[in-house]
Amino acid sequence: MRNREIPKGLRDLLPDEMKTRRKLEKKAADLFTSFGYEEVSTPTFELLEVVEAGGNMREKLFLFMDREGGILSLRPEMTVSIARLAATHLQDEKLPRRLYYSTNVFRHVQPHLAQYREFWQTGIELLGASGPWADAEVISLAVKVMLDFGVNNFIVSLNQIGIFNSLLEDSAIEMEDKDLIRKLVEKKDLVELPRMLEKLPINDLLKETIAMLPTLHGGLEVLNKLPYLEKNPHAVQAVEELIQIYAALQSMGVQDQILVDMGVLRGLDYYTGVVFEGFSPDLGYGLLGGGRYDRLLSQFGFPCPATGFALGMDRLTLVLKNQEKEPPRYLVGGTNLQAVLRKADALRTEGKIVELDVERLSRESLQETLAGRDHYTLIYIDGE
Amino acid sequence: MQDNCLTIALSKGTLLNPTVGLLESAGLPSDGIISESRNMVFDFPGNPPIKYIICRPTDVPAYVEHGAADLGIVGKDVIVEQGRDVFEMVDLGYGYCRFVVAVPAEMQGISLKDLNYKRVATKFPNTAENFFRQQGLQVEVIKLHGNIELAPLMGLSDVIVDIVSSGRTLRENNLVELVSIMDSTTRMIGNRVSYRTKYDTIQPLLEKIRGLVKGN
Repeated sequence: MRNREIPKGLRDLLPDEMKTRRKLEKKAADLFTSFGYEEVSTPTFELLEVVEAGGNMREKLFLFMDREGGILSLRPEMTVSIARLAATHLQDEKLPRRLYYSTNVFRHVQPHLAQYREFWQTGIELLGASGPWADAEVISLAVKVMLDFGVNNFIVSLNQIGIFNSLLEDSAIEMEDKDLIRKLVEKKDLVELPRMLEKLPINDLLKETIAMLPTLHGGLEVLNKLPYLEKNPHAVQAVEELIQIYAALQSMGVQDQILVDMGVLRGLDYYTGVVFEGFSPDLGYGLLGGGRYDRLLSQFGFPCPATGFALGMDRLTLVLKNQEKEPPRYLVGGTNLQAVLRKADALRTEGKIVELDVERLSRESLQETLAGRDHYTLIYIDGE
Repeated sequence: MQDNCLTIALSKGTLLNPTVGLLESAGLPSDGIISESRNMVFDFPGNPPIKYIICRPTDVPAYVEHGAADLGIVGKDVIVEQGRDVFEMVDLGYGYCRFVVAVPAEMQGISLKDLNYKRVATKFPNTAENFFRQQGLQVEVIKLHGNIELAPLMGLSDVIVDIVSSGRTLRENNLVELVSIMDSTTRMIGNRVSYRTKYDTIQPLLEKIRGLVKGN
C-alpha cells in the first residue's frame, strides 16, 4: 500500500467543509462586489525579492528554486502580490481602485488547530485612496462581512501604528531595542516590557506611556490616557486620524463592534497608519487583520496609498460550524434509460439536485439504500 | 469558553499553595482547592463565575494558548521552554528558581566552550539548545523526564541543564553549577483573545494582583 501521509500542517477538505467555505466566499464576494470591489488572482508563488518587499519573514516562507536558479517563495499572504500587480498593471488607471481575492496562502508555522501551513484568505485592498473615510470603508466592510457570515459575537480592535512609532522616534532608542519593544508590546509581555524600558536612557513619562500601551483597550477615551502624546506632532496627527476614522465608523453604524486597542501592532512591517484585528470569544485566535500600507506600492515603483484586510477562512469555519441544512436531493431510477433521463433533466431544469441511479437497482433496493437519508426523494420510473 | 465565565488554569504541586493564597488576597474564591486535592475542576458561581482547572504545570500554557483557559498561573521556566503564544501579565514573584548548566564536580572550573559537542541531559531541550546555540556552541541534547542529576552519574550525559532553587540536589549528586542561564519566577499568563473579549473582567483583576505583588 502506498503511503497515505501528507506534508505536515496541510489537510484535505471534504464536501461538507467545502460547502461551508464556498458559501462564505460567496457571501463575502457579494458584499465586496456591491461596494465596487473586483476579484483578482496572482501566481501561487513569487520571486523571493517580491515577497521580501513586504518585510523580512524568511523563517516563515516555503522557498524553492526554479531550474534557472531563481529563488521562489510560495505566497505567505496576498497584499504584497497585489501591490506588485497594481504597480505593473494599474499605474495608468483611474484611482481609487477596489480589488478583492479569495485564495490559499502558505506559511511555515507550527501547525495546530486553526493554524495550518496552507490556509485560505479572503480579503480586499482599496488602492489609491488616503484619508479616514477610505480606512473606515475597509474596516466597516470587515465588520459587515462578519455579520453577513452570522458571527455576531466579535470585536474589531483598532490602533494607529503612527502613535507607537512616534513614541519611539522621540528618543535615543537603538533600532534593535525598538524591535524588541514592539515585540513585547504586541505579545503583551507586561513583565519584560517595564524591565526592558527601565534600562533605556529615556525620560520616565515616556517609559510609563510605552509600558501602558498593551493594556489600553476600550472606547476613544483610552487615547486621553496617554499624556506623553501631546508633545509629539506626529503622535497628535495619528491620534487625530484615529478619532476621524472612529467618527466615520459611527456614521457607518458599525461602532458597536469597534474598540481601540493600543497593543495591536500587527506582525507585518509594511503598515503605516491604522491597523486592526478581529476576534471572537469562541476562538482563541484572531479571525481577521489589516490596515493602511502607504509605502508598500512604492517598493514596486508606484507611490500610491492603500488600505485593506484579510479574513482567515479556516478559522471562520471553526467559529461558524455548519449551520445550514442539507438541500433536498432526488434519486431517479428505472429500467428505461431515456425515460429516466427525461425525468432527471426536467427536475434539474427546475433547479433541483438530481442523481441518476447508475447501478440500475430495483425500486426495493433503492428504497433500502435511502433508508435514513431524509433529504433524498426517490423517483422510480416504471415500465418501458 | 462561556461568555462571562473566567477560566483559570492553576499549576499543581509546589506552586499551588502560594497561588491559592494570592487568589484569596485578590478576593477570588478558593474553597476546597487545597483540601479536595483529587478534584481537577472547581466551579464557583458568582459575578463573574470562576472555573479553575488544576493541571500539571507543563500543561498550563497549552490550556491558555488554545483558549480553554483565559488565564493561567505557571513558572517562567515552563513558559520559556514551550515558547507558546500567550500574554505574560504579572511576575508573581514566588516559586523562584533558575536554569543552570551543571557539571560533575571533577569537571569544576571547565570553560563553557569546552562543552562543544558534549552530551547535555535536560528536561528543557529547547532552553538548553537555544542557550548553547547563542554561545556559538553545538551540543547533543538528551531529553529526560525527571531525575536529570542521574544522567552524568550513569554516564548518559556529560553535563546537565536543569532548574535549581537551593542547589541542594546538585550537591547531593556531586554536581556543581557552571553557569546560570536565567532566573525564573511564577507568572500570570493570559490568552490573546480572552484579554480583549473579557477585558472588563480581566483588567481589574490584573491591576489588583499587580497591586498585591507590589505591596509585598
